[in-house]
Amino acid sequence: MRAERVAGAVALATAWLVAASHAAAQPRSELVAACTACHGPGGNSQTASVPSLAGQPKLFIENQLVLIREGLREVAAMRESMSGVTDETIVALATHFAAQPPAPKPVQTDTDKARRGEATAHRMLCGTCHLPDYTGQKQVPRLAGQDEGYLLQAMKQLRDAPGPGRDTIMAAALYGLTDAVLADLAHYFAGLKP
Amino acid sequence: MLARTALAVSLLSLAACQSTGPQTAAPAAPAAAPAAAPPPAWQQGRSPDQANSKLAPHAGRMTATPASEIPIANYKLPPGFKAEVWATGIPGARAMVRGDSGKIYIGTRAIGRVYEVTDTGAQRTSRVVVDKLNQPAGVAMKDGALYVIAIDKALRFDGIEKNPNVAPVDMTAAFKLPKEQHHNWKYIAFGPDGKLYVPFGAPCNICEPPAEYAQIRRYNADGSGMEVIARGVRNTQGFAWHPATKEMWFTDHGRDWMGDDTPEDELNRLTKHGDFYGFPYCHANGVPDKDIKKPNPCDGVTLPVATMGPHAAAMGVHFYTGNMFPAEYRNVMFVARKGSWNRTKKFGFDVVTVRMDADGKNAKIEPFMTGFLDPASDTFSGRPTYFLQLPDGSLLVSDEQLGAIYRITYAR
Repeated sequence: MRAERVAGAVALATAWLVAASHAAAQPRSELVAACTACHGPGGNSQTASVPSLAGQPKLFIENQLVLIREGLREVAAMRESMSGVTDETIVALATHFAAQPPAPKPVQTDTDKARRGEATAHRMLCGTCHLPDYTGQKQVPRLAGQDEGYLLQAMKQLRDAPGPGRDTIMAAALYGLTDAVLADLAHYFAGLKP
Repeated sequence: MLARTALAVSLLSLAACQSTGPQTAAPAAPAAAPAAAPPPAWQQGRSPDQANSKLAPHAGRMTATPASEIPIANYKLPPGFKAEVWATGIPGARAMVRGDSGKIYIGTRAIGRVYEVTDTGAQRTSRVVVDKLNQPAGVAMKDGALYVIAIDKALRFDGIEKNPNVAPVDMTAAFKLPKEQHHNWKYIAFGPDGKLYVPFGAPCNICEPPAEYAQIRRYNADGSGMEVIARGVRNTQGFAWHPATKEMWFTDHGRDWMGDDTPEDELNRLTKHGDFYGFPYCHANGVPDKDIKKPNPCDGVTLPVATMGPHAAAMGVHFYTGNMFPAEYRNVMFVARKGSWNRTKKFGFDVVTVRMDADGKNAKIEPFMTGFLDPASDTFSGRPTYFLQLPDGSLLVSDEQLGAIYRITYAR
């Protein structure tokens, strides 16, 4: 019963995203609310394993929303809500969330784990693209202060299933890293000031 | 009513969100994962003194760019030539082919689509022929069929212009596409011999490539009869056949992380099947590799006809055979240089012409279409990639960055 209600709600949200996509550059507040329901107020996630959108580079958000809409990046929870959303709406949403200030998240830091993650990040030259403070740029996401569970899951997916449309550059970057090493990295990035 | 609906949606979305809970973890990694990871392909060959470099491949754009955001007025051409925005809303537009009835088919990379553009005279309309493919950059036409080659798939759409919804014939098995992805998005074309030419790039920046890579092959149209026709080719993204000599000319991208000015991209001429073009030992016009060494690295290497500039990313090539441009452009080669990333100051981002003697000697490179790059700020707006000559002699140029197609015309 609950599953049915949820499915109905998602379908409704989809119809409404499509209708809203004819709007101009500013995304409608209802549309933004549909995102923040999961991604948190102002795009700062309050839910484990759901990524924060606040302060992510605009182009990164645009590209990921297109990949999810096209079915090239498989995110089950977002598949239906992105179906049929226009490029204009995607650009408006990306512009909005890129401009939101990322809020620091309380994280229990394991100092040894963070130190191992830092050393790996340095050795793997993550900062070349993600920038030395890991705030991201253009198509490259901000890692600093991102949700730890999401970071780990995203890195595992990039390592194990590069998949269609995904960046072959990033897939190769993680090839051969163990789960433990990825967990160190996720812990380190999540604990950085966003 | 709308507000109530919105609230309900928002609340239920939240419920949906929470009911999802933590996402299930990816499948467990294989037990015996290798201890040390190789660097990603684009970082291979990077020396310790380059560790702090900020140079990285440029971002593509995957949303439609409105015509109003395309800086057509910035583009510069020789006197008498004019560029117009011919089609927009084709994110990632790369190679173009034309069907007999005039429809244009366009390949892409990350967005995974092949587009069809129909010219109604006053305007152009577009639709997606196929999507969700893994970098379907290669498109070709033969006998009314559209051929699409992605990294891991080969499809044929028979009679597509007459039957727009035709189901594709899957020819993947026949082409035996190897599994590595890097540099294995394709430019493809049918040669004057009716064979389909398909490149297999080196799956790295610099490496000893496995046997099935760093080469150009040709196949019968059905994928049978494969032959390797050029070896030691790092990453060709464009080729064409000279209208008079019928020889194949191809571009090849030079490796990265050997400095701002070397090795340059190559423009090669294929005179003998099976020739070796130097990768990974010898680059450009005789530059030994700094990482993969052997004695006399350039011995037995067919050197390029011309070098196309450092990190220029020389893409599509086209020999002009139309009647619209002045006579001095007949059989002249156009080359699109998508532009550099692995260079302190950007280079390329333009279309050049190459004029040479009949034997390929004395190549002279001149700018033809510029204005994509602003040298003062070292920033670019667009990235020209491929050509398609129309029956009236005008020339289409695709812009992968802005998802646009320009039409170049000439009038006295």
